[in-house]
Amino acid sequence: MNIALAKLVQSISPKVQLLPWSPITSSQIHTSLPLCRIVSGKYRISKKRDKPLTYEMANPPHYIAHRKTWNSWNTSNIKGGLRRSETAIEDEFIRRFMSGTWHGLVCSEVIIKRQFNHIRVAAIVRRAVSPTKMYFLLGYSEELLANWLQCPVTLELQTVDSFQDVVFKYI
Amino acid sequence: MNVILQYYRSLGTARTLNLRIWRLNSTSADVATTTKGDEEEEFRVLDILKSRQRTKKKVTRRNDVQPDRADRMSIDQKWGNVWPGPKTFHPSSVPLPLRQGYVPKGHVPPGKKANAELMKIPNFLHLTPPVVKAQCEALKQFCTEWPSLLNSEEAIENHYPVETITSDYCHAGPTIRNPLARIATLRVKLSTLNLNKHAQDKFIRLVGERYDEETDLVTITADRCPLRQQNLDYVNYLLTACYHESWNVEDWEHDKTEEDMEYYDWDKNASKKSLVQWHLRATNMPNDLSDMDYVEYDISKIPNGEEYKNAVSSLMNNGESEETLKNYGAAVRKLLGLPEAKI
Repeated sequence: MNIALAKLVQSISPKVQLLPWSPITSSQIHTSLPLCRIVSGKYRISKKRDKPLTYEMANPPHYIAHRKTWNSWNTSNIKGGLRRSETAIEDEFIRRFMSGTWHGLVCSEVIIKRQFNHIRVAAIVRRAVSPTKMYFLLGYSEELLANWLQCPVTLELQTVDSFQDVVFKYI
Repeated sequence: MNVILQYYRSLGTARTLNLRIWRLNSTSADVATTTKGDEEEEFRVLDILKSRQRTKKKVTRRNDVQPDRADRMSIDQKWGNVWPGPKTFHPSSVPLPLRQGYVPKGHVPPGKKANAELMKIPNFLHLTPPVVKAQCEALKQFCTEWPSLLNSEEAIENHYPVETITSDYCHAGPTIRNPLARIATLRVKLSTLNLNKHAQDKFIRLVGERYDEETDLVTITADRCPLRQQNLDYVNYLLTACYHESWNVEDWEHDKTEEDMEYYDWDKNASKKSLVQWHLRATNMPNDLSDMDYVEYDISKIPNGEEYKNAVSSLMNNGESEETLKNYGAAVRKLLGLPEAKI
């Protein structure tokens, strides 16, 4: 949203005086909801039609609960759920931590399922590092996440040979 | 044993001999040297496109990846040992040909391997019927028998008239406490309380809308304290306090007149007095009753008196309607010995 606004400002040279009815002067809040609806979570077709997409990427967001399911499973999202914001932020943190710790190895979305105080983190990981390293990373991420989130965390990983295995289609 | 050993030994020597013979006969070493010499003598070819150097990248296949566990499973294994607890789906330990995913018509849905959709959905592979049965069997030793006297709903209601309702909540989060679990509700049937007419009336007034006339239930809910036990104590206190307060009779309660009555009490009204007077006059009996005697007069002595009482009470309490008026008319006709109304 902010980037779109900044670009709009940049494109207008400073010498040109803004008209009083210009959208920049008249409305302070730039809402780009329709744009987001059309663009967000969707992938453009490449020229050579060789962009690999996973199943998750191949189905745009409006197919959630129809063709694909949520990546976060918890009771905060249901009506009257507790700790909505905390859960959302923690999930985002776990996702970033996972993609950083398992750098370049995570081939799918990080799936976070919460049961009682137990957090299960599932992902599909490439077998690009040695099993020893993988075991270390497993224990390392579990231990650190458990310490930060004050919950038992379990990593339930599935390994694949390469990213090719999770590719659903090419566009 | 010796013979066999010797035989083997002889075989071994024969093999080595053979090898030696082959070695002598082979010309591979000579050929190699000649080809090398030929290449050196040839002109070098300028390879502009560098097609020779462009070698294919080595495809490294890890040989330490174990084959799927599912392929080696016997068909009579105990599934509960393979999948003992809740776990994210793992394709190599589930021997089922699963597929999941939406594809256009004519295509095949993605298989179980590297399928994130299967990992997302919660599975119940740890709760197969035999496992549930086994767990129930294990829990049986901790269960006690249901009391044989409490064999019906009525019996339970008789022995335990007070019902407390609390809710336990199951949710995901670092704490298992849910603030909604503190709410406690107490339910009791008013008829099970030991109350006389005055006390019952006062009790209903004290509890207000917590009393439901249709079901005769008094429901007291408390959520003001932070803990469930505190709320339960408070609810019990409220019931006790209301009960004892309803038995108290204050001085000013005696000043209640007929105009203050919240409902029509036929016994205390002029209707009964006139009925009794009429009855005494009709039967030529002496009338020397005081006001209290009128109130306490046994209505069952008068033929059809009870019906008349009910008809008047319902007319006054429930308001005028076609039915109450009709009842009233019929009761009066019966009382006076008149024939029934012809329509």
